[in-house]
Order: sequence, then C-alpha cells, then structure tokens
Amino acid sequence: MAHSKALEQIGGLDEATLERRADRRDRWLTAVTFLVLFGIWVGLTGSGLWEPFIKPLFLPSPVAVFEAFQRLLADGYQGRSLAHHVGISFYRFATAFSFCILIGVPLGLLLGMSRPIRAVIEPPIQAIRPVPKLALLPLFLIWFGIGNLSKIVVIAAPVFPIIVISAMQAVRSVSQKKIQAAQALGASTLTVFRRVVLPASLPGIFTGIRVALSIGVTMLVGAELTATSEGIAWMALTAAEYLSTDIVLVGVLIMAIMGYTLDRIVRALEAHLVHWSGKD
Amino acid sequence: MRIEPFDLNGPDRRDGAKLVVEQLSKSFGSGASAVQALAPLDLSVRTSDFLCVVGPSGCGKTTLLNIVGGFERPTTGRALIDGRAIMKPGRERGVVFQQGALFNWMSVVENVAFGPRACGVPAEKARHDARGLLELVGLSGFADRYPYELSGGMQQRVGIARALANDPEILLMDEPFAALDQQTRELLQEEIRSIWRRTGKTILWITHSIEEALFLATHIVVMTARPGRVKASFRSHFSESTDPLIAATPEFTAAKREIVGLLRSEAQRAQSLEAAV
Ligand SMILES: Nc1ncnc2c1ncn2[C@@H]1O[C@H](COP(=O)(O)OP(=O)(O)OP(=O)(O)O)[C@@H](O)[C@H]1O
Ligand SMILES: [Mg+2]
Repeated sequence: MAHSKALEQIGGLDEATLERRADRRDRWLTAVTFLVLFGIWVGLTGSGLWEPFIKPLFLPSPVAVFEAFQRLLADGYQGRSLAHHVGISFYRFATAFSFCILIGVPLGLLLGMSRPIRAVIEPPIQAIRPVPKLALLPLFLIWFGIGNLSKIVVIAAPVFPIIVISAMQAVRSVSQKKIQAAQALGASTLTVFRRVVLPASLPGIFTGIRVALSIGVTMLVGAELTATSEGIAWMALTAAEYLSTDIVLVGVLIMAIMGYTLDRIVRALEAHLVHWSGKD
Repeated sequence: MRIEPFDLNGPDRRDGAKLVVEQLSKSFGSGASAVQALAPLDLSVRTSDFLCVVGPSGCGKTTLLNIVGGFERPTTGRALIDGRAIMKPGRERGVVFQQGALFNWMSVVENVAFGPRACGVPAEKARHDARGLLELVGLSGFADRYPYELSGGMQQRVGIARALANDPEILLMDEPFAALDQQTRELLQEEIRSIWRRTGKTILWITHSIEEALFLATHIVVMTARPGRVKASFRSHFSESTDPLIAATPEFTAAKREIVGLLRSEAQRAQSLEAAV
C-alpha cells in the first residue's frame, strides 16, 4: 500500500519539480562533504578546544588560519597589503589569459579552416607543447626581465597552445554534413564560417578554455617562484620559508577560491552561450 | 502490373531534362587500394519526376547524390542541371540529409530561414516565410524551439521545410526517413507526396525501402552492387493513386516482388564481392 502511494506521489509530480528536488539534494550532499572535511580539520587541530593531534607547524587550526587572514588584512604582508598581493597575481593571470584567448582562439580557428596555414603553424606549436614550460622560466627571465612581463609569459606559455589547439580541433570536427547543408542552401564561405563553423566550434573552444584555466592558475605559482616580491603565490612560498604555515594556508585558500570562481564564471558563460553543447 | 520497364535515357527524355547524369563514374583512392563506387552511369530526370533510387548497401547511391549535390567531383563523366555542368553546391538543388544536419544553435524558424537569408532575403521576410513553411509541414507550434528539443520525425520535417525555403528546382534526399519508426515514416511519406503534388518539384530520392519507392516514385531505378550502374528502371503508377491502402493490393505486392528479386541477386553478388576483398 505504502509503496503504491509513493508511486502515485511520484507520478503526480512533473519532471521539472523532480529535477529541482534532485538538484537540491545534490547540493545538500556536496555541502555535507565540505562540512565533514572541515570537521576533520577542526578535530585534528583541536582549534584551541583540545590538544591538537597534528602540530600547528604542519597543520594550523581553522581558527589560526582565520586569525592569520585577519592579521594579513590589517597589516599586509612584507610591506604591502593583502589586496595588493591578490591584485598583482590576478593582473598577471588575467593579462596572460586574455591575451591567449584574444589571439589564440582566432588563430586556432584560422588553423582549423586552412590547410596551408596549418602546415606552417601547427608543427612548431605541437613541438613546444611537451616542453615543461617552467623549465623555460630562467630563459624568460633573461629575455623578458624580472618585471611582470616574464611572469605573464610563463603563465601564457602552456595556456596558449592549449587554447589554439582546442579551437583548431573544434573547427576540424565540425560535422561535414552541416557545412554541406549550409552550402546547398546557398551560403557563401563567409556565411558558412560565421553562422555554422563558429557556433559549432564554440563548445570545443569552451572546453579548451576550462582546461587552460586550471593550468593557468597552477602556473601562477611557478611564475611567482622567483624574481618577484609580490603576489599571492609568492606570499605563500616565502611564508613557507619562515614556516608560517598559517599564512601559507591563507595563500593556498585564496588561490583555490580564485581558481574555483573563475571556473564557475566560465561554466556559467558556457551554459548561457552554448546551450546546444553535446546535443548532437 | 502498375510498374513497367522504362528507359530513363530515351532520346525524348534527355532533351530539356532537369537533371542529366552522363557516363558518371567515381573512384575513391588510387592505385591498388582504389575503390570504384560508381560505374559509368546514365540517368535523366525530367521536371516533376519523382525518381527513387534503390540498390544494395555500398553500391554508390550516396556517392551519386553527393556528386549531384556538388559536394564531390566525378572521376569521369558529368552531371548537368538544366544543361549546365554541376561544379559546386547551389541553391537550386535543395538537399535533405538522413539526420544530424540541422543547426542546433538556431531555433527551428531560423534554420528554415537560413537559406533565404544567405541568399539575400531580408531577415524579417525570411522568418515570416519560414513560419509559413513550418505550417506546411505541421510544425507551426515549434518555430521557436531548438532542433534538439524535437523528435526525429519533427527534425526531418524541419529539414524538408529548410530545403523547400529556397524554392529549389530539384530536391535531393538521401534516405531521409531511414532513422524513423514505421508510423512516423508512413505519415511523412504521405506528407512528402502531397508536397510533391502541390509544388510539382523534381525529386531525387534514395531509399532502402522498396515500399517507399513504390509508394512515392514516378520512376524507380534499381542499381547493381558496387560499382553501381543501372540494373533496371521502371515507370511506376502507384503514386498516382489516392488509396491509402494501396500497399495491400496484389499489383503492389507483385511489383514489390519483382524489385525484391532484382535486389536479392545484387545483394548476393555484393556479399561475394565483399568476401573476395
Ligand atoms: N570518401 C570515401 N572514401 C573512400 N571510399 C568511399 C568514400 N565514400 C564512399 N566510399 C566507398 O564507395 C562505396 C559506395 O559508398 P556509398 O556511400 O555511396 O554507398 P551507398 O549506396 O550510399 O550505401 P548505403 O546504402 O549503405 O548508404 C562504398 O564501398 C564506400 O566504401
Ligand atoms: Mg548511403
């Protein structure tokens, strides 16, 4: 009886309501995961309530990290405000990434469209792709100086080929049938590109951008490894030298939040712009 | 018998034909790995003909359509529309693909308006006409949806409306209903027949289904196994009938048996050919 009643109830609800419920449940489960992880952190470090199981040197408590954050907000770090460190890192990252998108996407589209251009430009890009870009840092320092430019180049170095290649692949995998359909409808080459090839490649381009995003944030650490005295990754790196684990964690958390937020923004843009993604 | 053998290349047919295929052949690849898809093949299609092409799988039907569509170049021979050699795709030849050729990033009405807009019709007028065509194919309620929100049968209707939007002189269709279920198929067959009657369009239709060919065609071409050439061609009268149950008549069955017989021997030949490779 109870069973059939439950069935009836489910039958009475429309798809959208069920979907919303499943969504809410998923979000709740995700929240629980984070709460549990946070609980373990609190438990292991004691947070002043009991003796820590792990020395604060290795893992400071959430409270200590929060206090460090407040201290950094108030006093800054090594003569500069926390906002300045975050800002400079963001500036380096955003400049490198915008450049890669503004130049890399059109270049990738061009490579996808034209065989001769591909023959000229693709091999060098593919050749440098496996080179570990961090290994080039000393070279970049010599070439581009110890200012921001060398940092921007280090971040752009792995991001650029990913964006170019993914845009190129996206163009090359556009369904031949759709292009033929457009041609048979009298579309010029330009119209085929603008109204068929470009929109059909957008999902692939977005995938490339998201992959490149996480690599770009990772490269931020490499970029601030040396020859600078500002930036959030630099802050974490130097704090580690003084064993100020709480400051290291503040830096790490800020970078994690930055990466996560950027990914969310790109995802939201993607959902808004390419609703047809994966619908073939 | 409601079908009779018919020479598609009689001298009276070639003059003034809408589409002429002359000694057309196509090979893919070169040297030892070359595959000859089409043997020299001749066809002529007159205005308002509904020509169905049936043949064993791999005999070159799609290749033929791709050449007439202008997507591929023949190895020898040529295809002519109104006496002009086909060099590239053109708006006077509307193409309907089996599936997956709609633009998912445009709404249904934008899909249908695409051709006219690409040919310079102002967007507003193109959209207005597109809505009219969607009504013709029974989709007026779905104009602002996206293709991926539609069923397979509805998507094919959009494809047909899109091809009709340019008012082409000839429609090229490569198994447009092959991916649909029986009921939807029959429904759409009736629809395409009534569109053909109303508009008098010339249609080149490729199909695996003999019933479909008998039901729709004024002329039927049976192709041989690869390399494809014309094995037999017929004039068919079933499409003139308004009887919805025509497929149940003895004449229909007899005609079907005749074509099945032709195809079966070709299919067996095709199989032994594949086995030899
Ligand atoms: N681009 C290509 N490159 C090489 N071989 C090809 C190519 N296109 C077709 N072929 C070959 O040409 C032959 C005819 O192919 P086609 O697609 O025209 O057959 P079909 O009659 O449409 O078959 P089906 O009924 O299965 O759709 C096949 O043997 C196929 O393998
Ligand atoms: Mg085929």
